[in-house]
Amino acid sequence: MAGSSSPTPPLLAGLVVTLLAVIASAYYMTSQITALRTLQADVADRHRRHSLQLLRIQNNLNAIGLGMRDMLDNDGPYPLSAWSSQFARLRADLDDALHVEATLTAADIEPDQRTYLVQSVGQFWDALDRTFALDASGQTAQARDQIQVSLQARQASLSTAVARLLARNNEADAETAVRVRGIYDDVQRQVYLLIGATLATVLVTGLFVIRSNRRVFARLAALSDERRELARQVIAARESTMREVSRELHDDLGQSLTAMGSMLARVVLRLPEAADRDDLREVQVIAQATLDKVRGLSQSLHPSVIEDAGLDVAIESYLSGIERQIGVAVSFERSGAFSRVDPAVAIHVYRILQEALNNVARHARQSQARVRLAVTDASLVLEIEDHGPGLPSTNERHGLGLVGMRERATLIGGALTFTVPAGGGTCVRLTLPMPDAGAAASPAGVTA
Amino acid sequence: MNRRAFVHTALHAVGLTALAPGPLGAAARPLTLQLADVTAAAGITFRHNSGAYGDKLLPETMGAGCAFVDYDRDGWLDVLLVNGMDWPGHTRARSTPRLYHNNRDGTFTDVTRQAGLDIEMYGMGVTVGDFDNDGWPDLFITAVGQSRLFRNTGKGTFVDVTTTSGLGGRQAFSTSAMWVDVDRDGRLDLFVCNYVKWAVERDVFCSADGRQKSYCTPEAFRGDTCWLFRNNGNGTFTDITATSGIFDSSAKSLGVTLVDVDGNGWPDLFVANDTQPNKLYRNQGNGTFKEGGVAAGVAFSADGRARAGMGVASIDLDGSGQPTLAVTNFDNEMAGLYRPVSPGVFRDTAVAAGIGGPSRATLGFGCAFADLDLDGAADLVVVNGHIDDTVRNLRPGATYAQAPHLFLNQGDGAFRDAAAEAGAAFARPMVARGLAVGDFDRDGDLDLLVTTNNGPCRLFRNDLANRHRSIRFRLVGTRSNRDGIGAVVRIFHGSTSQSRTVHSGGSYLSHSDLAVTFGVGLRDRIDRVVIAWPSSQFEEFPNLATGKTYVCTETRGIVVADGR
Repeated sequence: MAGSSSPTPPLLAGLVVTLLAVIASAYYMTSQITALRTLQADVADRHRRHSLQLLRIQNNLNAIGLGMRDMLDNDGPYPLSAWSSQFARLRADLDDALHVEATLTAADIEPDQRTYLVQSVGQFWDALDRTFALDASGQTAQARDQIQVSLQARQASLSTAVARLLARNNEADAETAVRVRGIYDDVQRQVYLLIGATLATVLVTGLFVIRSNRRVFARLAALSDERRELARQVIAARESTMREVSRELHDDLGQSLTAMGSMLARVVLRLPEAADRDDLREVQVIAQATLDKVRGLSQSLHPSVIEDAGLDVAIESYLSGIERQIGVAVSFERSGAFSRVDPAVAIHVYRILQEALNNVARHARQSQARVRLAVTDASLVLEIEDHGPGLPSTNERHGLGLVGMRERATLIGGALTFTVPAGGGTCVRLTLPMPDAGAAASPAGVTA
Repeated sequence: MNRRAFVHTALHAVGLTALAPGPLGAAARPLTLQLADVTAAAGITFRHNSGAYGDKLLPETMGAGCAFVDYDRDGWLDVLLVNGMDWPGHTRARSTPRLYHNNRDGTFTDVTRQAGLDIEMYGMGVTVGDFDNDGWPDLFITAVGQSRLFRNTGKGTFVDVTTTSGLGGRQAFSTSAMWVDVDRDGRLDLFVCNYVKWAVERDVFCSADGRQKSYCTPEAFRGDTCWLFRNNGNGTFTDITATSGIFDSSAKSLGVTLVDVDGNGWPDLFVANDTQPNKLYRNQGNGTFKEGGVAAGVAFSADGRARAGMGVASIDLDGSGQPTLAVTNFDNEMAGLYRPVSPGVFRDTAVAAGIGGPSRATLGFGCAFADLDLDGAADLVVVNGHIDDTVRNLRPGATYAQAPHLFLNQGDGAFRDAAAEAGAAFARPMVARGLAVGDFDRDGDLDLLVTTNNGPCRLFRNDLANRHRSIRFRLVGTRSNRDGIGAVVRIFHGSTSQSRTVHSGGSYLSHSDLAVTFGVGLRDRIDRVVIAWPSSQFEEFPNLATGKTYVCTETRGIVVADGR
């Protein structure tokens, strides 16, 4: 296909570009998801756990506040020291919560805030211990005052400090949420971009493949037409050449040999010596034999009988000598109006018959064959049937004879089929549509 | 190896494979009993008076409890029903607790007046224990206001010794109570749950629909500490609430039971709190307790929420010696079933055990483990009833009266609710509160006593359809407290073993028979029984016939109870 380029390189280039785009996008998205996971695990989750601990601290502080309220409102039989075990439990849990909270404190929490919280809690417990000590020493009123004046204020201050930390944590959570949303948006955009690029690449590649396929199929069709025309021309040229040679042999060399024979006959009558006459008669016989060979050769090169007497007569004439030539007895059945067969078409039918019988002689190893020729208004059917070993398997290479038969059949618009008749062997069938009575006598472009 | 696998391996090693949990998914065991309502036939006409007159005061919807108690020691369980009363200014009729004497023929006689219990009080719960070790069961009735201690004279009467015992002068909203010898000195001490700081004059307006007053949830009130009183041995008690470490002004306690989570013989206390974390007070053996409910995994639900704990029950469910705890909660909260996963650590397995789902729709109060079908696997009974009589208008599908649950032990760690198969009378919705367990007809199986709020009580007779037998032990301490409370009784039969702890308390506001009852299936005998007394005394008695009640007197042997 001169003048056209292979579609493979552009397709490979498109594939490479697509793969690179997918790899790049996958790398980007993976890195973004990793960053997201890190952000959520290291920041968001820490914030969440930190907030939980702050809430635990706040809950403890609230319980401390309620406990102090109950101490002040105490209408039961219990001294203030009765609350010591309750506060001891709260202290243990609060200290544990502070310890856990310290391991979760975010970097954006000012160290001073934590330091203040821890120191304030320590100061609160010291003050509470002093309060219980006052109560234990009988100074219950002073202990109650201590609760009202000092402890409740400290508890409120601690609650406020924890609330500030919680608020800061909430702000940090909100900032983290914004960053997470940003990553999600970036990844989403990247996914859309990847999908768009992939779809565009697939579309371009698909269009390119369609265009290339159309070109390839157009080239193939043109090549097929060219090959068919070439075959037609080769066959036509061959037939033309053979016809010319045949005519030359028949008309020129044949006439000369005929004249030579006539002259020799006259010379023989005039020779006095018997020995001379015998010699000339031998020459006369040789000339006649040569003339017969020339006529036979001419007939085989181009059976002019087709034009003179029709296809059926030509076939009959051919078959009459075939048994002697190839050693196969061929029966011939015919039916129909053979005058309707165009000689330009008939020569190809004749050649197909010749090739088929040659194949019978070469391969069938049979002494009998059957030829049927039927012409109807619609079609011409020629069948050559033998009961030999049959067609070679499909994977064996067919000879040039079969190719020539197909070319000729195609040239005259017919179809050639090979079937296995009942009892084995081969039946070669040529089916040729007959033209309408008013139509052209020969298929377009067919000449002999 | 998880605990289940460990227990299985350990039991297999000692040949007790029958106790090991079986494969899950086994076919459901059918219910082989009917619970017949024999209240009317028994002649029990008691009707609880909540005193409700329309203002919806919180205590009205919380009571009251009941008890099976053989107050006259005739061997037949009598019935005590706690009652409320009309509020001051809204008096309609006199109402008192009721004591019904068992006539030994399925009927009871009201002996309240003769027994000296014809005393008006806004009673809530009751616990029974021989605090003076005189052999006669005494009563402690909790109340809104002053709770009362009644000493049994042994002559069929009770004497109010509240003041002389040192328990007087205390006003509180007391709920469940429990006798327990916390210091193992042979004298029963008294643990009392208090709910919230409430008084008529402190009542607040709460509304479920924004218009009508409804019963408040406990968040509207301050908590109140439980009480722990040490028995001085001379008829008086000393308040050791503060010194023992029990004191907690934030508590809103409704149920308490005795457990020994660390198996050291010192009784620990598990307290169910309403909207506050449950508490597990571990006995330090030196007169103090250390609270460790959170660390033990019993303070909260499986999702970490403090629920509305009401009733409690405990039992050695799998023969391992470690207790399993059940806690009833509000509707939509599910009951809790805390199974031990390692010594002293529990996990709420209610959902997996088949208890969570059915109990989600009910508001549970009284609860008790009891082997009702005597197959050797303890079942769980839960009685239900909402606190708000208008709940039907507020939440579609919710009802005031609710059917009880009978969670039948399938023997593989799972339960199924078979209440609907136990008879129409039992499955009928009730506004139930208290639940007590005891064998009032002495046929060997366990019967149920249920109280309803502002309604009648219900006595359910257990009619077993199988031929399962039981064996029962009633303990009499000599060096230990006379009721043997805190003693662990373990029986061995074939390749199986079961243990029970003698305890008061449990359930909600109620007291079950102190005798321990084991179901043994079709066995005629058990190999032996081993009793671990609170005094650290161990006693073992071999080859006992089933179908009997044995009286085990500490260091003095074992005898079959009269008539059995």
